[in-house]
This record gives sequence, C-alpha cells and structure tokens, in this order.
Amino acid sequence: MPKLTLQFEGRLLKEYAVGSGLTIGRLPDNAVIIDNPAVSGHHARLICDTGSVVLEDLQSTNGTFVNGEHVLRHVLRAGDIVLVGKHHLVFDNSAEAAMPGPVLSGLGDTVYLDTKQHRELRQTLEDAKAQAVSMRPSAKAAVPRRRTGVLRVVAGGADQYEYDLDAHTSLIGRSQSALVRLRGWFKPDVAVSIARSSDGYVVTLLGGKTLINNEPLVRRHTLKDGDLLNVSGLMLEFRWKDSEPAESAA
Amino acid sequence: MRLRVGAGTHIGRVRSLNEDAYLLREDEGLFVVCDGMGGAPAGEVASQMAVDAIVRELRETPQPAPTSSAAHDPSYLPHTTRLAAAVRQSNQFIYDRARDDPRQAGMGTTLVGVWIRQHVVSVAHVGDSRAYLWHDDRLEPLTRDHSLIQMQIDAGLLDEHTASAAEHKNVLLRVLGREPDVDVDVREVTVRVGDYVLLCSDGLTRMVPESMLAHTFVESREPQRICDSLIAAANSHGGADNITVVVVEVADSWWRRLLNRRTRSDRRGQYAEANVAV
Repeated sequence: MPKLTLQFEGRLLKEYAVGSGLTIGRLPDNAVIIDNPAVSGHHARLICDTGSVVLEDLQSTNGTFVNGEHVLRHVLRAGDIVLVGKHHLVFDNSAEAAMPGPVLSGLGDTVYLDTKQHRELRQTLEDAKAQAVSMRPSAKAAVPRRRTGVLRVVAGGADQYEYDLDAHTSLIGRSQSALVRLRGWFKPDVAVSIARSSDGYVVTLLGGKTLINNEPLVRRHTLKDGDLLNVSGLMLEFRWKDSEPAESAA
Repeated sequence: MRLRVGAGTHIGRVRSLNEDAYLLREDEGLFVVCDGMGGAPAGEVASQMAVDAIVRELRETPQPAPTSSAAHDPSYLPHTTRLAAAVRQSNQFIYDRARDDPRQAGMGTTLVGVWIRQHVVSVAHVGDSRAYLWHDDRLEPLTRDHSLIQMQIDAGLLDEHTASAAEHKNVLLRVLGREPDVDVDVREVTVRVGDYVLLCSDGLTRMVPESMLAHTFVESREPQRICDSLIAAANSHGGADNITVVVVEVADSWWRRLLNRRTRSDRRGQYAEANVAV
C-alpha cells in the first residue's frame, strides 16, 4: 500500500496510508494536519486514479513543491518528496512497502528510542533504578569515596618526585604518552600499565623487567599500600593519597 | 607487539540487505564495526558514513600535544580521547546528512571501535554492537548495550535469561545520527600477548550465547577461523540479522614468537583443563 511519510527537519513525524481524497492542510478536518503558519488551511490533496496517485495543489498561499519544483498537479512516483511549508512528505510506493518484511524469528528491525511509549518506559526504569539505589540499606557504604594512588620516586632518574595516578590508564616507559618516562636506549617503550578500576589499581607487565617487592612481576598485580616497584631500574613506592586516619584505623 | 586479524560480514538468512559495515586498519591498530538502521538505502549509508568518518577524522586531526586544550580529558590517554572525538564527529556528519536529505531521514547506526596502541585498547561505543576481551581464558564484555533491554536488566526488572523474551528488545537508547550530539562510552583496557579482542554486531550476539562465543576461542586460536565459525554459528541459530565479526589477536613479533614457542606450548597444555569452565 502506498504511503506518505511526514518529516520535519529530518525527523520522522508520522506515516499515512495513501487513499483517494486525502487532504493536507493546517485545519483539523484534513487527513494530514500540519499545524504551521506556512501551510494553508486546505493546502493540497491526493487523487488516486487508475493505479496512479496524483497530487493537486488547492491554490495554497505558499505553493506545493515536488522534488524542488513548484507544481499544481503532479503524478507521484516512489521516492518523490513533497514540500508543504517547511514539512516534507515522502511518497513511498515501492514493492517492499507493499509487502510485510520477511521476518522469520520475530526479530524485528532495530529502532531508535523515539516513540512516546519508549520514552515513558525509559523514565519508569530510571525511576525504578534511582529508588533501588536509595532503598539499599548500605547505600552510603556502597559508594565509597574513590581513593587515588600515588607513585613516589625512591631511587633512579625521573622528572618528578611523585606521580598521581589520576588517569584510567597510566603507563611507565620510554613512550611519549607515558606518565612516568623512563630514559635510556634499552628501556622498554612501555614497561607496565597501571589500570584504575573501582576497587584499586592493577599493574600489568608489558615489556622489560619489573620487580614488585623484589619479586618478578609475571602477569598482573593489584597494588597495595607500600608496594615497592622496580621498573627497569626505577624504584617507585605506591601509596594511597590522603587516606584519612579514620579509614586506616577501621 | 603485532596484531593478527580475522574479519567477515554475512547478510544472514532473513534480511535482503546487509546494513553492517566494518573497518580494519591493522597498521594503525584501528578496528570498527557499525550496524546501520533506517531502511534502504539509509541504513547502509549511515554505517558506511560512520566508518569513513572515523578514518578521516583520525587521519586528518593532527596529534594533539600532550598538554593540550580543555577538550582533552586528562583521565584518558590521548588516543582514547581522539577516538571518542572522531565518533562524535561522525555522529555530526550523519545527522547533518539525514537532515538535509529527506530520503535518508531517520537513518542511524551503532558503532563499536577499538584503537590498540602500546598494549592499551581504547574502546568507544554507541548502541548495541559489542566489544569483548578474551584473556586469562575467559571472555569479558568491554561494552554495555545502550538499549532498553539492558536498562531493564540494570534496573533488576529482567535477568539475562528472560531478557531474550522481553518486549521492546529492539529499542536502542543511543545511536549515531539521530541527535545533534551523542554520548560516547569510552574505556581503556590493557592487553598482553595472547589476548584477543572481539567486535561484533548484534546479529552475532542475539543468535549465539556468550558461553558459546567463549567456547570458540577455546577451540581455535586463529583469528580468521574464530571469525568464520562465529558467523557460521549465528547462521545455524537462525541468522535473523546481518552478522559482522572482527577478531584481533595480540601476538608477539615473529622473533619473540620463535623464542617463546616452547614455553607457550607448555603453558597451553597447562591451561587446557581450565578452558572448559567458561
């Protein structure tokens, strides 16, 4: 069945099944109502005539355009774009539109959240989630203040005395993007990465040799307060920054 | 570090068009999968536009200085910030095109992209195309779908087992091209030799359960073979949508590979039993 899709500024507003006598205009007695001052009360209409659909301008003030051309009468073809005021109406008469899509397993087309129903459901879910969080007895304890770690240089050449581990990923190596830059031709480009997660920092060995508390790092290690890192000769100590006395006492 | 890549896309067994698009730039470590939506011809236009825009943006935008502007988020590495900016830029391109051309009004696309540099994978995503990391013999999701159904799961209203029967299962909360601006989720993850990154469209993940995805990595270590068997699995489970899969293996450089050959084969034997419990 042929259809018209009403669009405004790239947004799909509504779809209409095309039938004879369908009228387009600003007033509420039209089949396609476009409530915009640029549209005449009765702006245009469609006439279905032996299989073809004819668009007719009803002496509108601002005119009716098809594919950019001003028209008074026009036989619509699939893909034609009708401009009424600032609204577009796309005419679709293609075979695909006539037949329902070949959906086998009930897996429909993916759509973007744009219907009222979807928005309402999202709001309900957001409310439910917010409530669930506030209902949780340990709500406050469940959201601990995120602690930041710091690496202090104990021995070896570095350009700072200490490095805050603020980033999601901090690198130690010769690389430009490393937080702690190693110097020397034979130092690895990236020796270790330190990844920050909700519950701490994980060191991953990527190149060269790294010792943690004098034990060779093999794969990964979760940092603890006071851990001593030897990254290709540079000695660093890991400390929690500004850990409150109350917390350490607990 | 060297990257070995396998990739493939398949129309599936139901759709008459493939609206997915993907991008492989092994030398730069850049990989992207997009799943277009919006009907012919808009869906595949949007996904291809997204892929092209990402490459163009990352090529043309000069590398920002380490101490760069306010737009630079210091909590992420520079290449993560750049990837996210490129995704936002591609949203702008698609949005503008959809607005200017009524035939493509309403087109949109999902996107999942990774940029692997110096053992750190920057992940950016919008929509329900996913990234996974295979490491330590298990499959870890790196993305969380921007969909109503994921939101229902998060709110505790659905669990993952009943989710497949839920209503509104095709509704996305975020896509590229539908709003003038878009939130891009980003993440950084460190990889080591032997890890794999999997990117895929929902044509794979809706057909094949995660346990089975994981099993494929146990059975094969060859990226293209993993890819092919995942696509075959999606089709044998119905192939209701287009299927796109990209598998990237973080491999040793050839000389190190040679050196490590013996230790690695020992290790694999050691983990063979652990692999079953995925």
